[in-house]
Amino acid sequence: MSDAHQHRDPQYGDAGPGYMEGAGQSIRESIQTYVLGLVLAALLTAAAFYIEGTKLIWGPGIPVALIVLAVAQIGVHLVFFLHITSAPDNTNNILALAFGVLIVALIFGGSVWIMAHLTDNLMPMRAMMPMQR
Amino acid sequence: MLGKLTWQAIPFDQPIPLVAGGAVFLVLVAVIIWIIVKGHLPYLWNEWITSVDHKRIGVMYMLLSLLMLLRGFIDGLMMRSQQALAFRAPGYLPPEHYDQIFSAHGTIMIFFGAMPMMIGLMNFVVPLQLGVRDVAFPTLNSTSFWLTATGALLVNLSLVVGEFARTGWLPYPPLSEAQYTPGVGVDYYIWALQISGVGTLLTGVNFVTTILKIRAPGMSYMRMPVFCWTALASNLLIVAAFPVLTATLAMLALDRYLGFHFFTDTAGGNQMMFVNLIWAWGHPEVYILVLPAFGVFSEVIPTFSGKPLFGYRSMVAATLFICLVSFMVWLHHFFTMGAGGDVNAVFGIATSIIAVGTGVKIYNWIFTMYGGRIRFDAPMLWSIGFIITFVIGGMTGVMLAVPPADFELHNSLFLVAHFHNVIIGGVVFGGFAGLTYWFPKAFGFRLHEGWGKAAFWFTLAGFYATFMPLYVAGLLGMTRRLQEYDVAAWRPWVLAAGVGVLITLAGAVCQVTQLVVSIRRRDELRDETGDPWNGRSLEWSTASPPPAFNYAVLPNVHGEEPYWEIKRRTIEAQHLAPEPDYKPIELPRNSPTGFITAFFATITGFALIWQIWWMVGLGLVAAYAVFVIFAWRDKEEYEVPAEEVAAIDRARRSAREQWLAAHAQVGEQV
Amino acid sequence: MSVSQALPGPHRRDMDPYLIRDGHGGHGGRDYPTGRGEGGPAPRNVVVAYGFWIFILSDIIMFSAFFAAHAVLATATAGGPSGRELFDPTHVALETTCLLLSSFTCGLSAVATRARDLLWTEVALLVTGLLGAMFLVLECQEFASFVARGASPERSAFLSSFFAVVGCHGLHVTAGLLWLGTMMAQVCVKGFRPNVLRRLLCFNLFWHALDIIWVALFTIVYLLGLGR
Repeated sequence: MSDAHQHRDPQYGDAGPGYMEGAGQSIRESIQTYVLGLVLAALLTAAAFYIEGTKLIWGPGIPVALIVLAVAQIGVHLVFFLHITSAPDNTNNILALAFGVLIVALIFGGSVWIMAHLTDNLMPMRAMMPMQR
Repeated sequence: MLGKLTWQAIPFDQPIPLVAGGAVFLVLVAVIIWIIVKGHLPYLWNEWITSVDHKRIGVMYMLLSLLMLLRGFIDGLMMRSQQALAFRAPGYLPPEHYDQIFSAHGTIMIFFGAMPMMIGLMNFVVPLQLGVRDVAFPTLNSTSFWLTATGALLVNLSLVVGEFARTGWLPYPPLSEAQYTPGVGVDYYIWALQISGVGTLLTGVNFVTTILKIRAPGMSYMRMPVFCWTALASNLLIVAAFPVLTATLAMLALDRYLGFHFFTDTAGGNQMMFVNLIWAWGHPEVYILVLPAFGVFSEVIPTFSGKPLFGYRSMVAATLFICLVSFMVWLHHFFTMGAGGDVNAVFGIATSIIAVGTGVKIYNWIFTMYGGRIRFDAPMLWSIGFIITFVIGGMTGVMLAVPPADFELHNSLFLVAHFHNVIIGGVVFGGFAGLTYWFPKAFGFRLHEGWGKAAFWFTLAGFYATFMPLYVAGLLGMTRRLQEYDVAAWRPWVLAAGVGVLITLAGAVCQVTQLVVSIRRRDELRDETGDPWNGRSLEWSTASPPPAFNYAVLPNVHGEEPYWEIKRRTIEAQHLAPEPDYKPIELPRNSPTGFITAFFATITGFALIWQIWWMVGLGLVAAYAVFVIFAWRDKEEYEVPAEEVAAIDRARRSAREQWLAAHAQVGEQV
Repeated sequence: MSVSQALPGPHRRDMDPYLIRDGHGGHGGRDYPTGRGEGGPAPRNVVVAYGFWIFILSDIIMFSAFFAAHAVLATATAGGPSGRELFDPTHVALETTCLLLSSFTCGLSAVATRARDLLWTEVALLVTGLLGAMFLVLECQEFASFVARGASPERSAFLSSFFAVVGCHGLHVTAGLLWLGTMMAQVCVKGFRPNVLRRLLCFNLFWHALDIIWVALFTIVYLLGLGR
């Protein structure tokens, strides 16, 4: 097919994931995208390590802060490195990603919830043993 | 040198597997010799083994599935007969042997019987129904099939070399841990499923991509046949669920091989987590199996009722609903493990809710039939049998979805009867309906109708005769997987089931006879036009069997049931549309990659099972080499010249014109 | 009957919202498909990239099962060492830096590929590979030091799940490096052919996905583990 080599053809209205948008984006602009992504990711990483090691955030809140930073950094990766956008030509890619995220949430969240309850309902003796250090 | 493998691995002291294995081995050798002597090897190699054509791969999947269904059925026969004999008596199967049989029965039926059946149908039909030439990744498709065949080979090999798992079809720890099962049985299970699991996952990726990205011009989402919607839902579930199976079996393998403590009963292992994770895969798996069957019925019932499918949009919505909710109910497989009332209630309610999706479908199928002119050909018989049988099975499922009831019935024969009810009534009936329906498209001749009807009636009667007594036995308290029992109240029901399975056997014999007779009488049963059932979707516009390229020119789709519209207009106009402008067609080249990858996967799997480490290394290196060699090939496609396309298509057009002329004379209305 | 010109006679084409203008199958122009596929099969690049995207999502789901196991077993130390005693934040930060930089250089190689510059593509890929190898070396060092201190996977369920989830990621990085080497050879020998370009795109997706998983890993396993 003569048009088999398009990453994104406006006629087809559908971009493959990872395709750098904007056929008009220059090399310099592409590099800038990656540099910006790197800087943001580095900042978020540094923040995460810093928060973990210091008393900047109240103790019980640290896990929440770390998760938020991780989600933000994953977002940075998706947008700046994988070029996922919210444009209509990326809808299929976003839908697939959303499906994956849903399944991950169900498996991870569901398993943690279920397993925690299973341990709750065990006899006290057995429940204490894994918690001993 | 050879790890754990010694001559003692061969069961010289156990007559049944020795004779069975020996017989199969001799038959295989005889078949291979016959093939070589008769000179069929080049044909087999070029046209089938290295084929990347979805139609050929679909047929090979179906063949594998039918063979494995037979093997699994023989296991089932042995189980029923053992139980029929074993009231306060030892029966004829010692416990170690019986345990392997019920484990192999479940494993083979699900992974190598039912899955390949559905995947085979999807392989053959989906690209044709979408109006395109092949799936997104044809060579990957071939690899998927051969990896599945590898898994089947390894499981069957365990009959003669070593032993199979004795844990049941899901190897719960701690029994499946190295401490309590030091033998190779569980290892056979693990590696057979890991290897075929990779194949299945790749199929999932392949079909999701195909259905979402490769369709004929004009075929928007809401114009796809419902079989393609259910195929999409099923493959999305494959993509979502099989990685969990891979991970969980990998954890078990790490425990067994490297002394890890995921599921051990020491050092903090948690056996319940295995149950949780494996069912997080296991529940979507049953929907992976049944959704394509639903799709088959959505194709067969409108065709044989002479009416469009009732409620297309609600069918699509119900399919997607089932797809989504199937990932939210898995705890109902272990209500009794102790998660407590809150958790059990949530999952129990979710399980009841998912039945609504199927209910919508059932009503739509019934309303499709209502007011139609029904033809009771074999595919329609299977469909009607399904509707009745599956509803019963579904109702017992909703009973089990209520946690307090499940505490009584968990792991009883009631449960066993329930899941056989839905799997046989749903998946197996759907598979046979699809087989009978699309067989003429695949091979150019129909299956013998009389034997097909006989197969249906015997299988239907056999199912009820076998499993309805088991419901009663379960309610009376009989647990599953009993090699021997001594409760007199159960005895009449177990005996009844033992008779029932013989009726099912008659059905299986009829199926085989149907195939043999149909092949022998294929000239009488020939499908001349490519549309033997007066079909409604695009695959019936092709010749039987379709050419390699499926469509000379990709069809333009203007509505649901595109082929029905085309037929109607053609009959009104009394002539075919003008000949299209034929162009050369590029098709993917055949490739031995799939077969050779699977060959090395078999070697690696066998080596892992028997802990022959140098062989493992060799297999992995060879697999990588195959990948590199395949990646290096320069010519990926071959061209079918326009004249050849034209010649093939003109033959199809003239067959259609003859049909048109004949029916114009008779004045038949369609 | 030919299905490609399926409508003889008068037909109100302007009434059909899914109208295909020129009536050819599979090749001609279309009006306005917006990813709903009415325009016929998508171009090969889109198909391959999307298929690989789906595969990556399945891989992430597999990781989530390992993560779930780790979350459940994180406190099952069986009297052995816990994360707080074992994990070294500096070491992890070093590993993270290597992987993040390698993701960046991988992106640069994609830019160089867009410019069809063979030299810079190979250089950027090489640096990516070296950084990835550095990451693996650091990780192996960490594993070796744990084992030497008696914190091997056989010690406890916590350690089993740690080694499994981190090791799974490391295996993926190793496979990625093998693939990277193969791609570098292919680009050198075959140049920027369409199929080589598709494979480079898939490799990019894979490598970035590995870094995404690492973000989740260092957060959930290491940073949260240090706090237990």
